[in-house]
Parts: sequence; C-alpha cells; structure tokens
Amino acid sequence: MRAVYGIVVRELVRFLRQRGRVLASIGRPFVWLIFAGAGYAAVFAGRNEIDYRVYMAPGLLGMVVMFGALLAALSTVTDRDAGVLRMVLVAPIRRGTIALGKALGATVLGTTQAVVVAALLLPLVHLRPSIAGALLAAVAVVLSSLAMGALGLALAASIRSLENFAGVMNFVVFPMLFLSGALYPVRHLGPVLRLVAYVNPLAYGVDLLKHALLGAWASAGYGGEMSSWLDIAALVGFAVVGLVAAAPLLAREGGVTRTAFRQRV
Amino acid sequence: MTAAAIEARGLGKDFGTIRALEQLDLDVRAGEFFGLLGPNGAGKTTTVHLLATLLAPTRGTARVVGHDVVRDDLAVRRAIGLVFQETTLDRDLTVQENLRFAGRLWNLPGPLAVPRIEGLVRQFGLLERRDDPVRTLSGGMRRAADLARGMLHEPRVLFLDEPTAGLDPRTRRSLWELIGRLRQASGLTVFLTTHYVEEAEPCDRVAVMDHGRLVALGTPAELKRTTGVTSLEEVFLARTGHALGETGAG
Ligand SMILES: Nc1ncnc2c1ncn2[C@@H]1O[C@H](COP(=O)(O)OP(=O)(O)O)[C@@H](O)[C@H]1O
Ligand SMILES: [Mg+2]
Repeated sequence: MRAVYGIVVRELVRFLRQRGRVLASIGRPFVWLIFAGAGYAAVFAGRNEIDYRVYMAPGLLGMVVMFGALLAALSTVTDRDAGVLRMVLVAPIRRGTIALGKALGATVLGTTQAVVVAALLLPLVHLRPSIAGALLAAVAVVLSSLAMGALGLALAASIRSLENFAGVMNFVVFPMLFLSGALYPVRHLGPVLRLVAYVNPLAYGVDLLKHALLGAWASAGYGGEMSSWLDIAALVGFAVVGLVAAAPLLAREGGVTRTAFRQRV
Repeated sequence: MTAAAIEARGLGKDFGTIRALEQLDLDVRAGEFFGLLGPNGAGKTTTVHLLATLLAPTRGTARVVGHDVVRDDLAVRRAIGLVFQETTLDRDLTVQENLRFAGRLWNLPGPLAVPRIEGLVRQFGLLERRDDPVRTLSGGMRRAADLARGMLHEPRVLFLDEPTAGLDPRTRRSLWELIGRLRQASGLTVFLTTHYVEEAEPCDRVAVMDHGRLVALGTPAELKRTTGVTSLEEVFLARTGHALGETGAG
C-alpha cells in the first residue's frame, strides 16, 4: 500500500531531521544505566546471582522501544495541530490505513532505536545472547513497538490539544515504566500494582525480552515471569485494540483541533 | 450529457446546539466556476467539509460527481482536490517532500508522480524553492504549494476554501491568475468560498450564504439585476440586512 509507505517514510524523515530527538533516544538508556543502575546495584549488592546492569538490559531496551514508539505515535497530536492530518484525511484512503501507517511508522522508529541501543548496550554489560535469544529479542522489540505505537496512536488521536500532551505523557509513561519489570521483577509488587502491571503492554514486552536475553539467569528467578506465548499474544492483542480504537478517533471533527477552531470563531 | 459536479439536497450540519448549516439545496454543473460568498461563521467551511466527506452530515444528502458523500466517501475523495483555509503542508519538510508524500497518499506511482510534481513546481513558480522547508516560504508561495498539492492527482472538482485570506493584494492576483490557467487547461470544476466580493465577481454563479442559510443564488449579473443594485456587496446587504464585513454568526 503506497499510502502506508508514504506515511512511514515521512515519520522516518522527520525523525532523522530532529537531531536532538535522535541523540536523546540513544542517550537516554545509558543515563538510566549509570544513575538508576548505580542506585539499584547498591541495593542489590550482596546478591551475586546477577549483575544488576545485566538485569536492567532488557528493561532498558523496552524503555527505548516505549519512548521511540510512543513519541512517534504521539506526533499525531502535532499533525493535528499543524493541519497535516487534514491532508491525510482528505486523501482517498481509509481511516484504518492511516492508523496502520502511523503505527508502522512508530514500529520502524521504535525497532531501529532499540537495535542501535542494543548494539551499544549489550557489549557494554557483557551480555551475549544466543542466536535464538537474539531472534526472540527482535520479535519482542518489533511486537512491543507495534503495540506501543498502536496504543500511543489511540491516545494521541483522542487528545485534542498540545497542552494536554505533557500531562498525559507523565501519567502514562512513568507508571508504565515502573510497572513493567524493567527495573525490578513484577512479582515483588503488591497485588493491586501487580494487577495494573498485567494491563501494561510494556510489561509483556519486557518479559519477552527477559526470556530472550536473561535465559541463563532464569533458574535464579531473573528471567521472564510469564510464558513467552502469553507475552506475544498480549502484545498482538494490544496492537489490534490500539489500531481499532485509533482509526475512528483520527477523523473526529475532520481533524480540526479545538485550538484551531477557537482561533477562527 | 455531463453529470452535475455537486448536488446537495437538504444538507445540514449541527455542532451541538450550533446550526452551522441549515438545509442546503445546491447544484453545481461540471466545469462551472462556482462561488460561495459569506462572512466569517456563515457556514462556508462546514459546507466544503461536508462535500469533501470530512464531516458527516446531520441531515440531508449530497453527491459529488455522482458519488454519495456518506456511502461512497472514498470515490468522492478520489475525485476532488481540496485546498484548506489553513495550510496543511508539513512545515518541516521541503516543498518537494510534501508533494512526494501527497503523491503516495493519492496512490500515484513514482513514474507518474515525479514528472507531474516537476510540472506543477515549475508552473507554480516554486522551482528554485522546491528543496527548501515549507516553513521558510512566504505566505503566497506556501499557498501556491498548497494548491499544487491539491492539483497533484488531477481532480475533477477543486474546492478552494478562502484560498487568498491573509495574502497581500499582489500575491492574491498572481494566485488568481494561476487558478484561472488551471481552469482553462482542464475544464476543472472550481468551488470557491470567499468573503471578498471581488473574488466572487468573476464566478459563473455565486451563492450568498449567511448564518448557515443560502440567501441568494445566481450569476453575479442576475443577482445585481434582481436585487436592483450595482454590486455584490449591496446584494448581500439587501438580502441579509447587514453588511458583509460584519461577522455573521455571534
Ligand atoms: N468543529 C466545530 N465545532 C463547533 N462549532 C463549529 C465547528 N466548526 C464550525 N463551527 C461553527 O459553525 C458555524 C459555521 O462555521 P464555518 O463553517 O467555519 O464558517 P465559515 O467558514 O463561513 O467562516 C460557526 O458558527 C462556527 O462557530
Ligand atoms: Mg471558513
């Protein structure tokens, strides 16, 4: 589908042109590795089944995917504000096609960023996955990007203005990160938070990444906590739900923002 | 026989309690240069968005080149070009990148799109600026690029929603020359909305709209004759009781 390709290409070009965004996305996990890693490593000290920095690696990759895919999908808010969304809406394509294009754009961005970070991070923490592990990690990264991209899109399509954007980011991103198992195992959480973790797409992505990368430490209790198939099914499920929800939301009010509308009155 | 380009029957749209468009009955012939004249808030943009399938009608029906705007929205969008009141170009991309993006959205294969973009960029005086980000273009050039985007897929009906609002008179004139040339070249139907009487003057027929209602319809000459006045400005005043410059809706 040419339209989907066009939407994906535009996302890529825009991303590569924003040098700050590229550097931030690659630098961010290393900042976490240094600062959060140092703190948690101290807490973990004395338990020498696993180096905390190794334990963090899947979570950090999950984090890269989350920021990469979510920020790409949330660009829909700026598209709406700048009017570009209306150019897309007046093209002879279905709303579902637009949603798919946007979600795939987020998938490509999330995946590419995760691959670049993995190439730097894994050697740094002396983590050498097996071939099968690396393949499963790739599957995890692609599916997580797609799920986060699709859900982010539904979120972005329901936001009317840029002002709401920052608040939503804080309300969504940080709980999602802390309840994902990226920094500590989900099973250490209380029952309520654990329940929240189960509706968190990032938790399944990180879990699958742990299956892929921490297989050697599984017996010590640091591998994936759910079955890989459940992780995969959940990620696919989230992707479908996000796409189905996003498609009609994109076309609301002909893609005109409240702000744009207010100025006209 | 040529089918009507646009047929609206009892077409209307409410936004909550605001009746943006009451009940519009309208026929626009193929190849016609049709003007919709009215003050801010009259319902012009709402009308265009309904005809372009971007809004769902609250009541009534409409057909564009024979396709129903609700049941056959894809076919309608394939046949029309729409230049929105505000620019829809991606300001961070270049003119060329925007047009390539549009070409893909309209499913034009590269070998078809590339020469067409080349031709439009040349024709619209954007040749030297085509690799510059849209953000760096003047208002007039940006409008020309918007117009190129709207014409890229060679639509049969072109909607222009206040295309010259905010432009200086000289740029407006050159944009009008451009639109005139497009019409002559292709027998294009043009549906123009405006709140400038002088832009409605050259139209084949003009519909005058106020508060979501048509108050007059005819050729500019007919309208002036039947109202017994000498300008469209006076036509508006006589039919609505207030001047065009005053905002219609409160
Ligand atoms: N998305 C919207 N939500 C609520 N009211 C709207 C919306 N769009 C337009 N309106 C209202 O509908 C009326 C007609 O607006 P519009 O079609 O934009 O007029 P025009 O294009 O002639 O200036 C105005 O009163 C405007 O406030
Ligand atoms: Mg308008």
